[in-house]
Amino acid sequence: MMNYISIPERREGPGNPMPKAPSPSDEGGGPKRPETGSPDKDNLLKRMRKVDPKQAERYRQRTGE
Amino acid sequence: MRLFGIETEYGITREDQDLVDPVVESMELVRAHLTASFERCWDYGGEDPHEDARGFRVSGLQQDKEEDEFAKVDAHRPFSFHEMKSDLVLPNGARFYNDHTHPEYSTPECRTLLALLAHDRAGERIVQRAAERRNHALGGSHLQLYKNNTDFHGHSYGCHDNYLVSRSIPFPSLTAGLLPFLVSRQVIAGAGKVGVEGQESGFVPGQYQLSQRADFMETDLSVDTMHNRPILNTRDEPHAVREKYRRLHLIIGDANMCEYSTALKVGTTQLVLELIARSAAPVLELEHPVTAGKQLSRDQSLKATVRLKDGSTITGLDIQEQYYLAAQKHLAGLDQETDWILQEWAITLRLLTGDRRQLVGRIDWVTKLWLLETFMQEERIGWDDPWLASLDLEYHNVNPDRGLFLGLEAEGKAWRMTSEQDVESALVVGPADTRAGIRGLCIRRFPDQIKTMQWERIQFSGGLLPRTLEMGDLFEPQAVQACAQIFESAASPMDALNTWNREKESR
Repeated sequence: MMNYISIPERREGPGNPMPKAPSPSDEGGGPKRPETGSPDKDNLLKRMRKVDPKQAERYRQRTGE
Repeated sequence: MRLFGIETEYGITREDQDLVDPVVESMELVRAHLTASFERCWDYGGEDPHEDARGFRVSGLQQDKEEDEFAKVDAHRPFSFHEMKSDLVLPNGARFYNDHTHPEYSTPECRTLLALLAHDRAGERIVQRAAERRNHALGGSHLQLYKNNTDFHGHSYGCHDNYLVSRSIPFPSLTAGLLPFLVSRQVIAGAGKVGVEGQESGFVPGQYQLSQRADFMETDLSVDTMHNRPILNTRDEPHAVREKYRRLHLIIGDANMCEYSTALKVGTTQLVLELIARSAAPVLELEHPVTAGKQLSRDQSLKATVRLKDGSTITGLDIQEQYYLAAQKHLAGLDQETDWILQEWAITLRLLTGDRRQLVGRIDWVTKLWLLETFMQEERIGWDDPWLASLDLEYHNVNPDRGLFLGLEAEGKAWRMTSEQDVESALVVGPADTRAGIRGLCIRRFPDQIKTMQWERIQFSGGLLPRTLEMGDLFEPQAVQACAQIFESAASPMDALNTWNREKESR
């Protein structure tokens, strides 16, 4: 069978492996507004300029479902 | 009762190779998740894509000519069917495998939107971590994964949303109630796309669309999924007791990066299903649903109208508003999650006609459009520049060092509904209130005693008789938790099955 030991994200759960499912009112649930209304363009533009203009031209996939 | 899940086929490429073999790469990616050699476990007995919900069975499915040629090559590969599939069931109840040459992550079945979002995000992390291991083995950051639906050359792959539906609802009622809603759903959940494509007809730059998938929809209803794609897929594969349930398998949706878009996409669809169950869905009949979907997708002003069978015309926003008003009237106050969906649906429809900028970080097509327009201004380029398709692709990269959406989110500028704790938990355990939690629990507790698994059953090895946990009608949360407690404390799967069977009889 498959071995699921020793990789961090697949570690054994804590004592109760079936924790309560979070609900929208729990800590962490519900949408969180961004801290400011306007995204920081400079960092994103830097990241965008690094994208190879020919990347999509080279990208080929086979049809999926 | 609510139960839903999302299947995502990821785009996969190697940047160090001119000719990428997606079969080998998808297989290697899935196996990079394992620490031991792969052994077959998934049971395909519950899968039959030829059964049609309209009450018949087709003899074969259509695929395009190019795919036929690929299939001939695949037949001569030195791998067995099971090796190529590399089908894994994960300890969080999800399925991770190579489907049609794309790595696919199917979330566990979830009962709440928050659980679904956490598991969808966990899927992104799991495929990306597998890519990092694979890249480590390759000696460079060559392999990249995209949570999108097109290669900009006429090939599409899917992100399917699935819902448990009572079989008591006649299929024609589902069709009538869902078609106008699904055609217009892209207004609130489209992922945005640069250019226009067609199956086998290439790519034309120059236009921005709301949806990645609208170009690839060819018919209203069909059991097919790879060719002649339908707005409403009629595959009748319930993965549950057939006499009681259907699984609504929607293939029209885009793969969303924004959690808020995913929540609206699935949440509003669930409410529409509940309207249909109450015979309370709006009565709208589109004259040409496929054409209408394309028209709406190609109009970012949201002012385009589509024709109804009665000769009148209507915008996509107005279709959505009619569904919203019906849901508000019949479903408000049902529970906290329903009220959240109604509230956000209304806010989104209002902002789409007003200050759309407020939807950046919430709705993918608005977010992507904002990024592209900002870039075009800075670089003084137009919509016909090929750079834009590359930026569109990179918006969906799940590598946090490269992905444009993930970059936006890392700056805290995209709405998060999940916390890191939610996602960390979803990486290791399934939802406590669905059968997926039991599936994951069995993987964690009894990995060496599982013979086969699939969505609705687990077959354990050992003994003279096959021992099977049937979960085709295990949906009621208290029953799920009772079963889970037994499997958690039992010394062996056989002990657990005996106890569970006795408990079921006494219920």
